[in-house]
Amino acid sequence: MKINVNVQNSLSASYTTDLSKEKTILETKNVDLCYVPQVKTLKNVTIQIPEKKVTAFIGPSGCGKSTLLRCFNRMNDLIPGISMKGLISIDGIDIYSPEIKLEELRKKVGMVFQKSNPFPMGIWENVAFGPKVNGIKEKAELDEIVESALIQADLWNEVKDRLNNSALDLSGGQQQRLCIARALANKPEIILMDEPASALDPISTSKIEETIDELRENYTIIIVTHNMQQAARVSDYTAFMMTGEMVEFNATSKLFTNPEKKLTEDYITGRFG
Amino acid sequence: MKELTKFQKRLKFENKVASGLITLGGYGVIVSVLLIFFFLVLETLPLFWKTSLEKDFEISGKTPISIGMDDYKELVYQVYENGIISYYNIKQKKNIKYDTLSLSAGEKIISSSSTLERDEIAFCTDSGRIINASILFTQEYRGNSRTIGSKLEKYGDFSGNESGKSLENLSFDKNENGNKFWVWTNDKKNVFIKIFDLEEDSNYTHNLTELTGGTKITASAINAETEVLFLSDENGEIFYFDISDYESPELKSHWKVSNNEITAISFLIGGNAMVLGSKKGEVEVWFQIRNENDDLVFTKTHVFENHNSEITKIVPSQRNRTFITIDKLGELHLNYSTTSATNVKFDNEKKGIKLVEFSPTADVIIVADDNSKIGFFNLQNEHPEVTVNSLFGKIWYEGYSKPEFVWQSTGGSDAFEPKMSLIPLIFGTIKGTFYAMIFSIPIAILGAIYVSQFAPKNLAAIIKPVIEIMAALPSVVIGFLAGLFFSPLFEKNLLLILLLSTAAPILFVVIISLWGLIPEDKRRKFSNTWELIFVFIAMVLVFIIFWGISEPLGTYFFDGNIKNWLYTNFNIGYDQRNSLVVGIALGFAVIPIIFTITEDALSNVPKSLTSASLALGASKWQTVQRVVLPAASGGIFAAIILGLGRAIGETMIVLMATGNTPILDLSLFNGFRAMSATIAVEIPEAPVGGSLYRVLFLTALLLLIFTFIVNSLATYIGDKLRKKYARY
Repeated sequence: MKINVNVQNSLSASYTTDLSKEKTILETKNVDLCYVPQVKTLKNVTIQIPEKKVTAFIGPSGCGKSTLLRCFNRMNDLIPGISMKGLISIDGIDIYSPEIKLEELRKKVGMVFQKSNPFPMGIWENVAFGPKVNGIKEKAELDEIVESALIQADLWNEVKDRLNNSALDLSGGQQQRLCIARALANKPEIILMDEPASALDPISTSKIEETIDELRENYTIIIVTHNMQQAARVSDYTAFMMTGEMVEFNATSKLFTNPEKKLTEDYITGRFG
Repeated sequence: MKELTKFQKRLKFENKVASGLITLGGYGVIVSVLLIFFFLVLETLPLFWKTSLEKDFEISGKTPISIGMDDYKELVYQVYENGIISYYNIKQKKNIKYDTLSLSAGEKIISSSSTLERDEIAFCTDSGRIINASILFTQEYRGNSRTIGSKLEKYGDFSGNESGKSLENLSFDKNENGNKFWVWTNDKKNVFIKIFDLEEDSNYTHNLTELTGGTKITASAINAETEVLFLSDENGEIFYFDISDYESPELKSHWKVSNNEITAISFLIGGNAMVLGSKKGEVEVWFQIRNENDDLVFTKTHVFENHNSEITKIVPSQRNRTFITIDKLGELHLNYSTTSATNVKFDNEKKGIKLVEFSPTADVIIVADDNSKIGFFNLQNEHPEVTVNSLFGKIWYEGYSKPEFVWQSTGGSDAFEPKMSLIPLIFGTIKGTFYAMIFSIPIAILGAIYVSQFAPKNLAAIIKPVIEIMAALPSVVIGFLAGLFFSPLFEKNLLLILLLSTAAPILFVVIISLWGLIPEDKRRKFSNTWELIFVFIAMVLVFIIFWGISEPLGTYFFDGNIKNWLYTNFNIGYDQRNSLVVGIALGFAVIPIIFTITEDALSNVPKSLTSASLALGASKWQTVQRVVLPAASGGIFAAIILGLGRAIGETMIVLMATGNTPILDLSLFNGFRAMSATIAVEIPEAPVGGSLYRVLFLTALLLLIFTFIVNSLATYIGDKLRKKYARY
């Protein structure tokens, strides 16, 4: 049984889907990670994420895909007792080296969380938060940033008349797009999305996917998803992980139609997971 | 099936019992709070009841010259102008006994004057004689019955004047040494004083007419205790005599007090306040006040409602500062000096009033009219000294140079004027709370931010319970330490304490920021523990520095004694028990409350918010400042308000460490008297049902209302803000 998703449909033909020809922006080498000593959540993960493409991480719950994602902007640093080995570099620079400033890394690597988490402030304040904490003070400049971020996140037309209203009054889908706009306002190179549509209804989900589709030209997007159809629809490349290991990383069209590993095939055809 | 029904029945029964008990508990709490509230209101309300005067009964007979009643309100004596004294038994409704003052044939008593306590009365007759007598009541107990008897004592003849001349305006008083004073005028407008010195057994008589300049003297009042004499004249002038030198009375001063003739004057209980009544019906109370030059100045302090005609008599109560004024048209006013209030106006059915007297307990007023009727009126006047104005407004008390807010509820003698302004107490509570909050809010909130956001987990796990234990420390222990240990310590090391609380935090911050000079990559290698050790070392260092310099600094700048220096340069006095000590001690009690609730509020800020902020490149501190603190603001506000509630209601600490001085002064270096402490200190001294007792209940009621408002506010705002963030 083949998967019931028409992969060709969702991917435009102009995209190259050959991993070896892509320019790598983010690279991990032999990453091991333990939350608890001796229990490896990530095992020897090595992957090269291509620049300005959408890369999806799929895999069953607890496979470590979100953990891996959080290593890219070092959100895992906050967790006490965590230990990591191996190398993660962006543009060839080790992001775990002491010279790296955490705030600058996170400005470069934005993140959108599973559950929309706008601040309990106005819409404008939410989007301007990133630039503000990173030192931009001029109102005109901030206005420009906010507008462009909201336009990119497909939210501008819906909120332009009520930028000072509370972000909490937006619908769930709008809130999530606001969070995307908030991440975009920092002008990141990479956007990490941790199951961004898992809490949304199908219409909001498709809105988010459209947004992702529009962003792929300018940003490197790494998206963690449970939803294989979503991975198939939005991503150029897909990585399949299981029990902390990188099982297969390949062009999405390839992975979903002709996986190299038996395990991958079993998963995408729904034999487990 | 049968088993199941039984089980169901039991279940139903248990449900009923449980819900009944829970409902009962819930309502019980509400009911008991309401009961406390109503009890307090009930105890307080009589303070504001109106004074009432109601006629009890009346007797007929000749109008007497003098009238009096015993403590138990059973026996009334009446002295008639022919010298006959009749004793009327109220229960039996008849005269039971007669006495006589033994006048000569045809001689008539024309006026009388007695001491305030009515233990001796002077009568003067139309033949120029003064006869002193005392009519004393005796009590005899036989089995369960009590019989009031009487005893007349005559003190001979103190004839004052060339015999045969009519005496007017007689005033008499006696002091505790038994020395007696009489003042009278005769038809030639001459004014005389006669003094009897008991020890020397000698009499002195002086003609004061030359000293007064020969104006017509209209009234006189003697205070035998302070040995002063006041005379009033037809031009509205008051003459003040010092009569302590029996051989030569001295006119100390005289003041023009009115444009109208003064027709009656009288001292009130205590002898410090003088009531004046004028021909136009004005009634005023005047005090002698020392001005800046230490001169006594006669000053008008209280003005009462006008009468419509000439004041004929002023009768002071021997219990408190109530006095009766009556006028020519027979209108009677019942006034209270302290509050400037005319509590009762009464016109005795248009019949003129000849004579008015208080019963010794001041709850019955005897009014004799021109119509040979003597009315007995019950007076309900439990709390004349308490009015809304006396509780919350400035009152001009005797011995004060201006109206002031004063709390001084009890004094050494019966003549003491109670001063029950709640303002100093409310001020004290607010002052203590203010200093406590200034001390505790920064420490508690910064501590909570550190523990919830920055401290390593294992350290936080120690700090939190330790601070919670602080809350369990009995406040009497804190008060004890503050009052007996820290107060003297602070007094001894005042400069050090001041330096530590002002300059030290600045130096401390400077030292701490040195840590930031270490490059970040090197700093990162140190663990949190090292950071803490550094902070600790910095603290100790700062303390040692200031410890070291405080002594030489004190010697160099403040002549070795900062207390004197403060006093001589800024007129700031230093009390050992002061607001600084209390602020810190009370703050110590408040810190755990603010800390715990703030810490909870900060920890409850959704992690998704902090993650979002951090993921946007905000630093830890930016996240705390821009996301965590605003999101927790409701909880922090509630924490502060609850801390405030605790500080307002706290009793033991303020009781033990403030010195309980009811003064209105914001200075950090003197004490105050809080409402709660006042209740604790004074309720054992307050007679049940008395004014002080009820005022203390009013204070309790105010405290309850204060804390109720404060806690409701905290709950309301907390709820509102919690709802705002409830979506996370």
